Amino acid sequence: MSIRPPTLREKRRYLLARIDPAGTNPEAKDLYYAVYEAVVSLFGDMAAAAMQPSVLAVEEGHVILRCRRGAEREFAIALSTLTICRDIPVALRIRAVSGTIESLRERIGRVSPQETSAAGQDSIPADDGTCGTPQYQFGSIPVEIVVCHGHKVDALEKGFKNTRRLFLTTEDLEIIHATTISDGL
Amino acid sequence: MKITDACVYPYPAGDSSVRRLALEARSCGYDSIVASDTPASEICGITVIPGIFVTGIPAKDVQNRVKKSRSTGAVVSVQMGDNGFNRAVAGTTGVHILRGIGVADKRAFDHVAARIAADNITAIDIDLSLLISGRGHPRQKAIHRYLDLIVLHRRFEFPLTISSSARSVLGLRAVREVTGLCSLFGMDETDVRAALAGVGRVTEPRESMVKVIS
Repeated sequence: MSIRPPTLREKRRYLLARIDPAGTNPEAKDLYYAVYEAVVSLFGDMAAAAMQPSVLAVEEGHVILRCRRGAEREFAIALSTLTICRDIPVALRIRAVSGTIESLRERIGRVSPQETSAAGQDSIPADDGTCGTPQYQFGSIPVEIVVCHGHKVDALEKGFKNTRRLFLTTEDLEIIHATTISDGL
Repeated sequence: MKITDACVYPYPAGDSSVRRLALEARSCGYDSIVASDTPASEICGITVIPGIFVTGIPAKDVQNRVKKSRSTGAVVSVQMGDNGFNRAVAGTTGVHILRGIGVADKRAFDHVAARIAADNITAIDIDLSLLISGRGHPRQKAIHRYLDLIVLHRRFEFPLTISSSARSVLGLRAVREVTGLCSLFGMDETDVRAALAGVGRVTEPRESMVKVIS
């Protein structure tokens, strides 16, 4: 099939969305199925066919999506009803809508979060006088930090059964045995 | 006019601390949140309003519960029941919000209850979690109830509130997304802004019906 001239091509719009929680990197294919399910369940097959939703790329915690021009508002509404991708809770936060992918890629570079994937980074309370990796707790629950971005901290509840992800801030965390003096001192 | 999410559930009911919810709410464009079982506070410029959510008790007990919580400054929300219950609760002084119209019976909130709610300045809550995470019949039912609610709201002008009922930061939605979701049942941006400011309207001190003029 020959390529249509520009005036006869369908106009598209591209959406940039941040994937929450940070550190979740779903496959583009899984995300496509989740997006398609969200669109079809809210607007039906007819609207989905007219909207032509698509996932183009997943990069640096963001996803670039595509739809037909004029349907971006409905597409954004459908995206706000997306809650699960392959049994993992996710949310897509729309950052920008553009006519070109290139401008969205530039924007990813500008707004890409400076997240750290381990404990003990800049904004986590420092452990003074403790040995080894610091252990944190939220209330009385020991937690393991997964992602830290500014004041926001995502942590896994440590336990035999419950290992759910908790969404906390640096102020919520305490260092376990923070007053213990290390052997070296 | 404060933009308020009328119901969030921080830890331990949910998986997010109230601080984190406040941080996320700020980035979503809110000025305040109503959080269950949380003391009043100001976190990162977000006002955290304590919320009391009353569920599954008779109308008489609701009155007692309201009396107890009057001095706390909390926003009292009551889960809807049948029609008689809703009429009684909508007319109860101290009840700020009636919740759960999206899952209530279709005759649970009628024109009489709407008039009582308008007279008593009791808000009816629009719970967006039914639209966000619901699928199939429950979501269709919720949209139908909200369409009916908007008809009554335009006629009787009782206050509305909008809540995400988020138990996680992932359940929060930005004001723009809320506007989009509410457009599904006929609310425009002005209506949504007014509804997001509904908590402020129902909690502001009311003028007495009787004025002493001399």
